[in-house]
Amino acid sequence: MAELKYVGRDVQRNDIVEKASGRIKYMGDRMQGGAAHARLILSPIARGRVVSFDASEAERMPGVLRVFSPKDDPGKRFNSALFLPDQTDLQDHPVFTDKPLFVGDILGAVLAKDEETARAAAAAVKIGFEEEAPLLDMEQAALPQTPSFREGMPQVVEGKIAYGEESLPGDAIILESVVRTQKIHHGAMENHICEARMEYGGVLLVETPCQMAFTVRYVLADLFGIPFNKVRVVKTPVGGAFGGKQEVGIEPHCALMALKTGLPVRLALDRTQTILATRTRAASVGRILIAADREGNLLRREMDVIVDAGAYATGTQRVMMAMGKKTSRLYRIPSQSFRGRTVFTNTTPAGACRGYGSPQIHAITEIAMDLLARKLLLDPAEFRLKNLVHPWDTDPAGGPALGNARIRDCLVRGMEVFRWNERRVIPSGTGRFRRGVGLACCTHGNGYFGSPYPDFMSMAMRFCEDGTVLVNAGLQELGNGTLTTIGQIVAEVLDLPPERVEVSESDTSTTPFDVGCVASRVTYVCGSCALELAEKLKSRFLGQCARVLAVDAHRLSLKNGNVVDSEEGGRRSYGGMVCRIAKELREEAGEYLHYKPEANPASYGVHFAETLTDTLTGTVEVTDYLAVHDVGRAINPRLLRGQIYGGVQMGVGMALSEELVYDSKGRPKSASLSRYTMINAPSMPKVGVLLVEEGEPGGPFGGKSIGEICTVPVAPAIANAVNASLGTMMTELPFTPERILAALSARRETNAR
Amino acid sequence: MIIELTVNGTLRSVEITPSMRLLDMLRNVLGLTSVKEGCSEGECGACTVLLDGKAVTSCTVLAVQARGRSVVTIEGLSSDEALHPIQQAFVDHDAIQCGFCTPGMIMSAYALLKHTPSPTREEIQRGIEGNLCRCTGYLPIIDAIEDAARRMRTHES
Repeated sequence: MAELKYVGRDVQRNDIVEKASGRIKYMGDRMQGGAAHARLILSPIARGRVVSFDASEAERMPGVLRVFSPKDDPGKRFNSALFLPDQTDLQDHPVFTDKPLFVGDILGAVLAKDEETARAAAAAVKIGFEEEAPLLDMEQAALPQTPSFREGMPQVVEGKIAYGEESLPGDAIILESVVRTQKIHHGAMENHICEARMEYGGVLLVETPCQMAFTVRYVLADLFGIPFNKVRVVKTPVGGAFGGKQEVGIEPHCALMALKTGLPVRLALDRTQTILATRTRAASVGRILIAADREGNLLRREMDVIVDAGAYATGTQRVMMAMGKKTSRLYRIPSQSFRGRTVFTNTTPAGACRGYGSPQIHAITEIAMDLLARKLLLDPAEFRLKNLVHPWDTDPAGGPALGNARIRDCLVRGMEVFRWNERRVIPSGTGRFRRGVGLACCTHGNGYFGSPYPDFMSMAMRFCEDGTVLVNAGLQELGNGTLTTIGQIVAEVLDLPPERVEVSESDTSTTPFDVGCVASRVTYVCGSCALELAEKLKSRFLGQCARVLAVDAHRLSLKNGNVVDSEEGGRRSYGGMVCRIAKELREEAGEYLHYKPEANPASYGVHFAETLTDTLTGTVEVTDYLAVHDVGRAINPRLLRGQIYGGVQMGVGMALSEELVYDSKGRPKSASLSRYTMINAPSMPKVGVLLVEEGEPGGPFGGKSIGEICTVPVAPAIANAVNASLGTMMTELPFTPERILAALSARRETNAR
Repeated sequence: MIIELTVNGTLRSVEITPSMRLLDMLRNVLGLTSVKEGCSEGECGACTVLLDGKAVTSCTVLAVQARGRSVVTIEGLSSDEALHPIQQAFVDHDAIQCGFCTPGMIMSAYALLKHTPSPTREEIQRGIEGNLCRCTGYLPIIDAIEDAARRMRTHES
């Protein structure tokens, strides 16, 4: 391949100066001209019924425009993940409910002339409840004798994936374990916010910092019975998303208030409301059985996983199935069964969260793999190497082929750089501080192809009169560099500086359809669409230039903003040619492309962690870290490393500190950032990054996904390091000081016996 | 009530209410929207500004407490033409992703470098320990602050 000018380079992200200066306007920063401010009224009880709703005092407060109560609910239920009518996810979500199912369930709202009044009035609404005992334990929720709290809706939704012989050889070495992963807050620094208003022509305009504008349109049009072309959803700058802004959140509530009053409505949540009333990472309990022969060759794996959806279905059933689908794509295992059960509890609904089930299922499988390695007296790295998939393997469960799967390269090269063999055998000692190393492998996807959800997108691309390029696409920049990456790909093909390429974001009325910046599909799918379209545009543009110049198109090429004629030697600027094409041919130098991926290869990663545990206090410090990833090709290495650092930050929190917990009445104990501990700068380890770039067919310049997979193996890598250093077999995340001290004390008792 | 204070170097008279937070005054009255609200309890640091040269979380300070004092927000760091060396270092090290925590993070860095012109990495980590970032994993931010300190020292000498 010829030397690339922009792809593979550390091109500066397109909006970074605006962000560094503080000038960028997130939705909450915009002038609020004429907007009415809404404040949600959330349920303080985990389960029960509203028996009285007295808004009289609130309504008397000056500046209050209207109070919304459960009576304003449209009656129809929605599912926040649904984007086509054939999707079978349960539609169980009301807008305003009189039967709250968790603390934070939305009962109503106050609309007022300013935020302060709305807040005061919401607090003045007096609501009487008839309380019922909440169901909080997901394992109890999975029992057949547990009655459903969901009026006619099932309490358990099951899914199965299996292949191979069910029997186990008699001499197999078997490890059985139960691994628990916790409920997690996305922790985007920008809380949820949305605006809705009626526009000229009876169009409902909804502006929202979201990840899937067309899903928002689908849910709103369907819920309110509005023609789809009369609902316009516009994506605004996002202050962090991580899946928390993937599903439809507060848009229905905001839109309902705008529809009912005709007023422009701004609905903003504070941190506690964002934690309570939006979405979380689903907690899970995984029972796992792994069988191997004495040499460490895997024979069979059985997984029975319960996934806690919280109070409403949302996308959690999809998350559960996504967990199952990952299990046949990392190791060569002759036979396997996965049974997943999505269950409901009286807690904040779960849904999409960076990794979409991958961090949970890999915590379950990778912690168990280490425990089996211990039983087999094998090095956990060598044990994995015996079993990892090879490039071009197929998925025995029927999923898409794995593509250029370079997990083995990741592990081998990572072991060398991390000095695994040397460090693994250093005894952790018997003192107060115990040092240990651990690793975990993982896989994740590149889009929806091969799943029940269609994956496709369209884009338009045109040269402007000054030779700049406009890419019209329904993308969503989330801070991860989507627009920069797409711009680099286009700049490479059309040979002009990336800053001369402008890539648009989603506006459902003006940009072509896209399913969203989700599912780790942006680089592989959207990037390939941009690449193919840029090539199509290049060919059209060169043809137009040839006609204008009356020469053979083969003589012409694009070079650094100029059309170059190889015979005559002339150089003409793109802009000049665009104007001549307009005048002389009456044509635009533009193209459109419908794109659908025909593959969904796997991305891979191995993370290595060194931990130092204080056996007196139970605290863990991550003292060294290496992330190795099979990314096909890094389109922008610096942005890519940034994804990995952030993924590790989230993963360390999952390993050690982050957890949404509830008291016996279902009241959250960690509904603020002072009680929900995210990793800050002093707790963040140094992270080494090693990239394996062997090229992925079907991806732009060989590139594939990184944004989700980089958070997937973090928690099990750290857990394995801690277990190795302490000789414990802890399987419940996060490894808090309490759990570590309890495990140490249990171990001492066992040893004493 | 009306209070007088210096905001980004300019003396201002501002009408406030007794219960108004400094954050609300800066954002809603003065339109300095770089100051972000992330947690409302002084935990995330997105609303960090300088009050008489010291970094404070403006969500936990009342506007009236700023009477007669000097407040600096990120709007006061750079001119239209040039970024402050800290901002430029954040750009050069890709220390920004979604950008929501950035203004508060840079103000904490500014306060740190004002008092500690040659910080160690550990001092930088402690200097921004009250600023949460969910995107970058802090590492490029720490590199940027280290580099900014270097640039500012060179600039001054």
